[in-house]
Amino acid sequence: MAQKDHKEQKISSHLSSESVRVIAESVSFGGIPDEALVHLAEDTTYRIKLLLQEAVKFMHHGKRRKLSTADFDQALKVKNIEPVYGFQQSTEFIPFRFASGGGRELHFTEEKEMDLQDVINSSLPKVPLDLSLKAHWLSIEGVQPSIPENPPPATKDQQKNEILDTGVKSAIDKIPKPKTANETVKAKHRHKVADLAKVKELSTHELSVEQQLYYKEITEACVGPDEGRRSEALQSLATDPGLHQMLPRFSSFISEGVKINVVQNNLALLIYLMRMVKSLMDNQTLYLEKYLHEFIPAVTTCIVSKQLCMRPDVDNHWALRDFAARLMAQISKNFSTNTNNIQARITKTFSMALQSDKIALATQYGAVAGLGELGSEVIKSFLLPHVSSLGEHLKQTVDAIVLNNVDKIAADNIKKMLTKYIPPVLKVSRSPNNSVDSYIAEFGYVGQLLFNAVERERRSSGSGQSAGPGPGPGRPSVHIPQPRMIIHPGSQPTTPSTPRQLSLPNSINLPKTPTSIGGQQKFVIMSSQPRQPAPVSNPLSMTSGTAGTTIVKVMSSGGQGSTTSSGSLPSTPQPKIVVVSMPQGSGTSKQTPGAASTSILGPDMGVKSVFSGQSATNFSLKKEHDNNWS
Amino acid sequence: MPSSGVLSSHAEPIIPKSDVSDKQTLLAVLQFLKKNNLKDTEELLKREAGIKDDEVTPHSTTASESDVSHALAAYKSSDDPSLYSDYYTDLKSFIDSCLDVHKVELAVILYPVFVHMYLELVYNGHENHAVEFFEKFHSDQEDYYQDDLRQLSTVVKREHMQGNTLMENFKSSKFVIKMSRDSYIHLKRRLQEKKMKPLLNIVQEHLFVDVFDGMPRNKQQIQLSSGAVLGESEREANRVKVYYGLLKEPDINIPLEEEEEAGEGDDKPKKKKQKKDPLLMKKSKNDPNAPQNNRIPLPELKDSDKIEKITVFREATKRVKVNSTCMPSICFYTLLNSFQGATCVEISEDSSLLAAGFSNSAIRVFSLLNSVKLRTMKKSKDLDIIDKEAEDVLERMMDDRTASEFKVLLGHSGPVYATNFSRDRKFLISASEDGTNLCCALFHPNSNYIATGSSDRVVRMWDNLTGNCVRILTGHKGAVQVLCFSPDGRFLVSSGVDRCVLLWDISSGSLLANMKGHTDTVYSLAFSRDGAALASGGLDNHVKLWDIHRVLQEVDIEADLSIPSSFTVNENPNLLFGTFPTKSTPVLAVHFTRRNLLLASGPLQT
Repeated sequence: MAQKDHKEQKISSHLSSESVRVIAESVSFGGIPDEALVHLAEDTTYRIKLLLQEAVKFMHHGKRRKLSTADFDQALKVKNIEPVYGFQQSTEFIPFRFASGGGRELHFTEEKEMDLQDVINSSLPKVPLDLSLKAHWLSIEGVQPSIPENPPPATKDQQKNEILDTGVKSAIDKIPKPKTANETVKAKHRHKVADLAKVKELSTHELSVEQQLYYKEITEACVGPDEGRRSEALQSLATDPGLHQMLPRFSSFISEGVKINVVQNNLALLIYLMRMVKSLMDNQTLYLEKYLHEFIPAVTTCIVSKQLCMRPDVDNHWALRDFAARLMAQISKNFSTNTNNIQARITKTFSMALQSDKIALATQYGAVAGLGELGSEVIKSFLLPHVSSLGEHLKQTVDAIVLNNVDKIAADNIKKMLTKYIPPVLKVSRSPNNSVDSYIAEFGYVGQLLFNAVERERRSSGSGQSAGPGPGPGRPSVHIPQPRMIIHPGSQPTTPSTPRQLSLPNSINLPKTPTSIGGQQKFVIMSSQPRQPAPVSNPLSMTSGTAGTTIVKVMSSGGQGSTTSSGSLPSTPQPKIVVVSMPQGSGTSKQTPGAASTSILGPDMGVKSVFSGQSATNFSLKKEHDNNWS
Repeated sequence: MPSSGVLSSHAEPIIPKSDVSDKQTLLAVLQFLKKNNLKDTEELLKREAGIKDDEVTPHSTTASESDVSHALAAYKSSDDPSLYSDYYTDLKSFIDSCLDVHKVELAVILYPVFVHMYLELVYNGHENHAVEFFEKFHSDQEDYYQDDLRQLSTVVKREHMQGNTLMENFKSSKFVIKMSRDSYIHLKRRLQEKKMKPLLNIVQEHLFVDVFDGMPRNKQQIQLSSGAVLGESEREANRVKVYYGLLKEPDINIPLEEEEEAGEGDDKPKKKKQKKDPLLMKKSKNDPNAPQNNRIPLPELKDSDKIEKITVFREATKRVKVNSTCMPSICFYTLLNSFQGATCVEISEDSSLLAAGFSNSAIRVFSLLNSVKLRTMKKSKDLDIIDKEAEDVLERMMDDRTASEFKVLLGHSGPVYATNFSRDRKFLISASEDGTNLCCALFHPNSNYIATGSSDRVVRMWDNLTGNCVRILTGHKGAVQVLCFSPDGRFLVSSGVDRCVLLWDISSGSLLANMKGHTDTVYSLAFSRDGAALASGGLDNHVKLWDIHRVLQEVDIEADLSIPSSFTVNENPNLLFGTFPTKSTPVLAVHFTRRNLLLASGPLQT
């Protein structure tokens, strides 16, 4: 019966006589005359419609928007008809699967054959959570507190409209503001609205005290040494609603942070910052488009920068590049549109890096990773053409007379990257009959390598079913994701890298944090004015090592990175770095090392962040500030 | 005689069976069929009309020959289905050509005429014409009729008409239309001039035109009161006096004193003295609108009731005002992990208990007070041991080991659709798999009346004493899902599928305000304890607060209640003074505590 009503929708809300015939045959009533069929079809249609009308009433009684099979059963019961069994309380049958072919269209319920042995052996499903009652404040004297239980103050759509029209913004902020708004409420809604003149306002983000505290705690935790706090903070960034007011701060924190730490070659911090980007991207309530002009250069820097760590031969900066490359792919997937052309511009940047052989191999590695993550189409049209020239570059490096260890590692890693991304594409585009020679002819130095990888790929996917102990034992072959990593047996990397798990774009692996160098440092990053959200003008301006207006000062008695002196000087044991980002043209103010720490923390400064290794402030992540908001 | 013949023969199916003359016509037709040996048709008609064989024979002998031929002649005359479309178009163009003042009033008859024309076509077996007619004109009808029309469109054969509740409604009841005298005269003249029989027939048979003297109503006024399945309410229907006032509070001065002594061990026995007086003063005033205390005899007041009343007074003194400058706080109780969804949530009057009904037939009762756990009674064996004379015998009956935050009540075998606590919280009634037409029912605060809302989009009030329907309130455009009386008993709010919250004055049966703002079905309504504000919540995951005080201030007291066109309905959008969205939780219950804290509840939807 339920099957019929689905058909009804598809076929002009009438049951065809053909269907009736099929149904009749299925219960072994053959040879019903056509006329009878037509009558039956009409009558059944009518009856089903009646039942559906009745079922809709039950849906309303159940206070639901969606009609369920149970409602239909109820309707049948009311009409004194026996309910249809087998469809009770299940969603998997709806909508019906549809198949067509051979001129026939068919709706069917999918009934998988189950091996009883499997059912018995499989672990019991989790017991569903028991029902519970949870109380929270939906509103306190007319003001809705910003807690996770409540919806975010401004939805993503509102945030989006905000960019297009500043008038909308004022409307958003005005709605929750009651007429008797007292001081605290005013502080929370961060800008006063000039109702009459519609001027695009420049600095529109005043943060409440609670938000400032939150910002401070989060940024400290994200780049601090405590991994537990960090993951808590990142979790908060990824899930909490209502962060949009602080987003400009976070984005310039990340952007400035990357600029400085690239210069400092501080791999750990770069990774932390990228993880912040990841968390913000995961937050469904944020509208990030406005801040891409800060995120994209920062992420790009982490992919292709020549040097990201102090000791390129030991540190695993490859993981950071991979992670950032995946982030970039996610950015391009989420935000690329016809107008901003993000994907095209990213691709162009990467392929330019590939084409030149003067560019450092680390950068080329990043470019390969970046392109590789963008998917098979990009690989086909932008990576493949450059493989042979890249191969030449690699060959030169490996065959160089003076063997540079750093370059050798880089070359190995690039090879690994190529064997990771290219074979799945080649497997599809090339016929299995292609010989090694043809590969070598096209790809030069890495031809042999790719050929082997493609062959391996073919074997593993082709024989996955029959040859049980394949590379992924126990996994059904159908579910093997396309890009699979194949470790090339020839070139063992010097640093034992853990086998990376390949994952979907929305579950990016976090690279492991390498050991930080030089003990604990104190960084003070400051910019004199928060970046106002500008339209995404040129998101691909790469951050060169030092931005024009950023001044980096190293305040240290000992050499940076040398840990030997730290024990002797108890007052300033760690190197202190002060970075001051000046607005254009006013770069004259010099700060004395002594005054720096105090003046920086002055209340008027825009983005401030202090993170220190010693800080042991009690960090109760979200709750405290929630309560304060209310 | 000829005119009656026209009516009866044609309207055969739609006429109540009790009508003897019609039945005779029917029998005459049957006889004719029999005579001409048209057996199949005869059988069909017999079955259709529910006439038994033995009924036919005796009557047919009495039916004269002339009657038969006459009935058939009439039948034939209306047998040109293609004309229906023309009639309808003609009527439409006539209405269009009228003056604007009359146009809107007259346009109301288009819908019932359309429906009945369609039904006649269907009844007479002109399926194709009927479908064509429907296709041509159904989109002209008002939006809020489209649901009914969809139901109507499923009926294309005569067989379908039987047992279809909507058809029964149209058949057995008249569609009520209010119209000013001028407009009515216009219409009447036209119908008589044109002599379009089916049209005249429909207007006479199936329409009830409630004519009033005065200005014709404007479009907005008509819109506000129309929408019910069978048109508006007659003015007569709301004439009966309703004693909406509250009952005189029983004199509990003396028990109060006693209670003060007896309740020494109670939580806070102080403070009572100075507070009780103003409240009692207010209540002891005689309300002219209140029913006699013994109109419906009240049960004897028990000691526990008195204690309860005292608590209520005490709480009431602490209550805060609700207005736009002082909005209530809202505490939201979210039901988590309710996999199949809660179907109803109810909070007891004293805000201590919450009951939720589920579609898996369970009911859960939660204690909302942290200090109070729910316990079950001891086993009968243990109960025997208890000293029945002890002061705290009620306390001793309970088994402390079973204390928990909630209890599950099982017993239903289908989805639980409604729960309701009795005033003393001793009982919980619940409804499951009930009739599907009635959506909600509610006692008036003075217990003399019951209000019901139903899926025919009408709110009705019934007198408990006589069983009569004393108010018929039309204006909803969708099934009424929820009702709420104001604390003083004078006003009634209703809402439902049409997302509008309507405020009614019970004394006159008139619509005072139409509060729009919800974007999906409203399932819960609650007046603040002082009656100044109204909270509503529904499937759109919003709690909204409305300024009732303002509505009452803006009511036009000058209006003449007997003339529908003199009413104004407050549709001011500023009546809304707060909107509070939940994340993903439909609001199934809103409830003001005695101190005007707003509680709301619903199941989280994942």
